Amino acid sequence: MTVKVQTARARRLGRARIGGVAAERLISVGSPVLLLLVWEALGRLGLVDVRFFPPPSAIAGTFATLVASGELLDQTRISLGRVIIGFLIGAVPGVVLGLVMGMSRIVRAALNPMVGALYPIPKSAILPLLLLIFGIGEPSKYAIVASGVFFLVLLNTIAGVLSIEPVYLDVGRNFGASRLQAFWTIALPGALPLVFTGLRLAWGIALILIVVGEMFASQSGLGYFINNMYQTFQVEKMYAGLIVMSVIGYVSFLILDELQRWLVPWRGDRAV
Amino acid sequence: MNDGVRVAARHLGMHFSLRGADLVALDDVNLQVRDREFCCIVGPSGCGKSTFLRILAGLERQTSGELHVEVRDPANPLTAMVFQEQSIFPWMTVEENVGYGLRMRGVHASVRKRVVDHYLEKVGLAHFARAYPHQMSGGMKQRASVARAFATDPEILLMDEPFASVDEQTRALLQEELLRVWESDRKTVVYITHSIDEALVLGDRVIVMSARPGRVKAEIEVTLPRPRSVYELKSTPAFSELVARVWEPLRREVLASYGALGQAS
Repeated sequence: MTVKVQTARARRLGRARIGGVAAERLISVGSPVLLLLVWEALGRLGLVDVRFFPPPSAIAGTFATLVASGELLDQTRISLGRVIIGFLIGAVPGVVLGLVMGMSRIVRAALNPMVGALYPIPKSAILPLLLLIFGIGEPSKYAIVASGVFFLVLLNTIAGVLSIEPVYLDVGRNFGASRLQAFWTIALPGALPLVFTGLRLAWGIALILIVVGEMFASQSGLGYFINNMYQTFQVEKMYAGLIVMSVIGYVSFLILDELQRWLVPWRGDRAV
Repeated sequence: MNDGVRVAARHLGMHFSLRGADLVALDDVNLQVRDREFCCIVGPSGCGKSTFLRILAGLERQTSGELHVEVRDPANPLTAMVFQEQSIFPWMTVEENVGYGLRMRGVHASVRKRVVDHYLEKVGLAHFARAYPHQMSGGMKQRASVARAFATDPEILLMDEPFASVDEQTRALLQEELLRVWESDRKTVVYITHSIDEALVLGDRVIVMSARPGRVKAEIEVTLPRPRSVYELKSTPAFSELVARVWEPLRREVLASYGALGQAS
């Protein structure tokens, strides 16, 4: 009798849970659609100022035109090229120097004061300096992105090496690993999970910095495009630029997740 | 050096300086380990037995005295250690872990594979060659760690309480396996433990160390015949008698270490 009651109850709970998951998914898809519909309706009814908030249908139309003309894709390609090159220029030395600083007390002691002094400067604040040094061309864009990426990757890599259990380094020494071998087989893979945390943070910063750089010191790229559309009051096109930024951010983090799963397989399925 | 002696420590001492205070971990340690001997060192917690092993492994350097290891085959590494804590690299598969020492010494991949497969088979991990450690239990990780040490074919095998952190049933199983692997290889082993039972089940000789500062307090020959079975051995009268003989000198040292703790707190 008791058993029967319990199984019936369990079944009811099970069904409720499955129903719950489906309902959650429906809500997740439905809520943004609802938001767009409300936005559209408010615009058409004249309840919001369509000069600032053009209805989604109008933005979609503009977006389609811009894509068809190739203008948006060109700007996107330019920005992506800059941000990827700048990211690599900052991230590669950041990882290498981070590993060296993590492994060597002396190098750490020598460089820590400089890192400590330079890291807190907001990188957008050094844009004028970078323009003086590199001029208005491409190198100044790479430089601003790289400067932001470098420190985040560096600090996370150092933390990654320092977080390695000392016993792993003992294993390396006991089993005859040279310093270089210890570097490749212990320091780098041991630090990799935190290196990835650094890369993700740095990628977010890189997207911010490229837009800032293009807004203030460029005649091309998405940052320039968005700013230019604002200044010429083509608000729908400005929104189209924002949509592209959103898509770039979303897709690139998916790619980073996938890369992490592939490069750090020993972490199981723990995505950050 | 006497014939048949592989490791000889003479007046070995280790001082640490900790926040200005001088800490004596080892004081005038004199001991010898014979060729192909399974030598167990027991002692109360903090008696410096792990420090002794770390000196032997080349991870620390003694502050006084001498340590001599006789090398039979210079091509082999001097020591390989099985660590107490989880020391299998999480970022390598089991076979990469077991082959690590060989890889560091530049052993060719095909030779490495043969040796690794051999020891994986011996410790029962053949089916887990491609697995990552996070997919395995603590006992399996220590099996891999034992295989990694054996695979490098060291002159001296060092083990620092390798089975201290696994449950009792698993420990007995791991001890059986270790005996089986060791009895076919007969390497010279220095094995640290705080368990008298474990020392007697595994060892040819048990060295009892004193509470800090660590010194050699007593040496007991374990005359139990081999091959041994962990389960059967423990119920024999000879075993009980040996337990009593090791416990006698050890008891005083354990009490002394409690005394030292009492003073410190």
